Amino acid sequence: MSDLKSLIKEKLNDGADAFLCLKEEEGTLLPALITDADSPDLELAAVGEARYPLGKILIDLLREYPDKRFAVLVRGCDERALIELSKLEQVDLDRLVMVGVACTEEEARACGCPRPYPSEVALGEKVEAAPGRETIAEVESLSDAERLRWWKEEFSRCIKCYGCRNICPMCFCKDCALENPHLVEPGVIPPEFPSFHVIRALDMAGRCIDCGLCEEACPADIPLRSLYRRMQEIMEEKLGYRAGESAEEKSPLSFLGSEQDIKKLERE
Amino acid sequence: MAEESAARKDDDIRILAFLCNWCSYAGADLAGVSRLQYPAKVLDVRVMCTGTISPYFVIKAFQEGMDGVLIAGCHIGDCHYLKGNYMTAKRFQVLRETLKFLGLEEGRLRLEWVSAAEGEKYAEVIRSFTEEIEKLGPSPLRKKKAEVGA
Repeated sequence: MSDLKSLIKEKLNDGADAFLCLKEEEGTLLPALITDADSPDLELAAVGEARYPLGKILIDLLREYPDKRFAVLVRGCDERALIELSKLEQVDLDRLVMVGVACTEEEARACGCPRPYPSEVALGEKVEAAPGRETIAEVESLSDAERLRWWKEEFSRCIKCYGCRNICPMCFCKDCALENPHLVEPGVIPPEFPSFHVIRALDMAGRCIDCGLCEEACPADIPLRSLYRRMQEIMEEKLGYRAGESAEEKSPLSFLGSEQDIKKLERE
Repeated sequence: MAEESAARKDDDIRILAFLCNWCSYAGADLAGVSRLQYPAKVLDVRVMCTGTISPYFVIKAFQEGMDGVLIAGCHIGDCHYLKGNYMTAKRFQVLRETLKFLGLEEGRLRLEWVSAAEGEKYAEVIRSFTEEIEKLGPSPLRKKKAEVGA
């Protein structure tokens, strides 16, 4: 175990052209790109308690500097996001060095993370966590009509701020279906049910890596994470796929597959 | 369109059917030329392949007040585009479970494989699907009159 500053120096010496992490400035966490060991940002670099989808910045950085290598500070969720993004051709893992941070027990519990550590931990101690499924179980125990009423009520608080989409590490499309006036009528608040939220939920199938940033960002406290977590379960139950687990296996919704797969699906 | 909706009674059900150009649409056509009887509560949309049907379209159909949505395409292995309907089969599973989790009755969405030779099967699918939707009644996602501003 070493501290963040020496890790940054080490990675910059080892061939990374820049280190993407967070810095703490006047009590606020901000993303920072450290390109040399003399940078004043190095002194401010911090793991911090807050989470930040650094992957979103990384997508742009990798594209803008196609011949540079980057090191990046990742928590468990960031790593899952980067793995999934690489399969969606958004990041190039060969040009990335991930420096893993394990979340503290307190953080892991507060966030309800399924795996609060990356595959290689350079900072912090691994702790296990047991993600809660209470909300999903509660919703599932209701009848169809009650369930619909429950979701309608939750979604009726939506102010259509797009915070869930903007914070989502897996959202990168230039043309967003949520801004398509044929699918979601502009200027209607709360957005019509089911279009807005169900479109987002469907897009999360095979993509959501369960970081929970959407729910954290939501100003209306809509239980988005439970919805997307259920999408993850559906993908696993029906198509046997879990996002962010393996760098090779692609989401079944991203390729056609074989006849055997489909016949198997139909028999179930 | 306005007149048509005025003529439509509130509790009349309406079904949207996405039919693939190469199999199910031809199947529906065969049902027609064979003069098979089936309920006329279905609006059909011809698509080149069921694989082109985005789940968004289904969501939109329910939002616009459809009581049931049927997707019909070529049998697995018979797709005109070889594997287009594989995608449909996978998406359908995810879509159905999602709608179920949100509280829409499972029966309102159906996937059927109907070939160009299966006019009788098409008529039977429409008969049984219409019956099922009639049992379920109007969709809970239908907009109330007041919301539409009628």
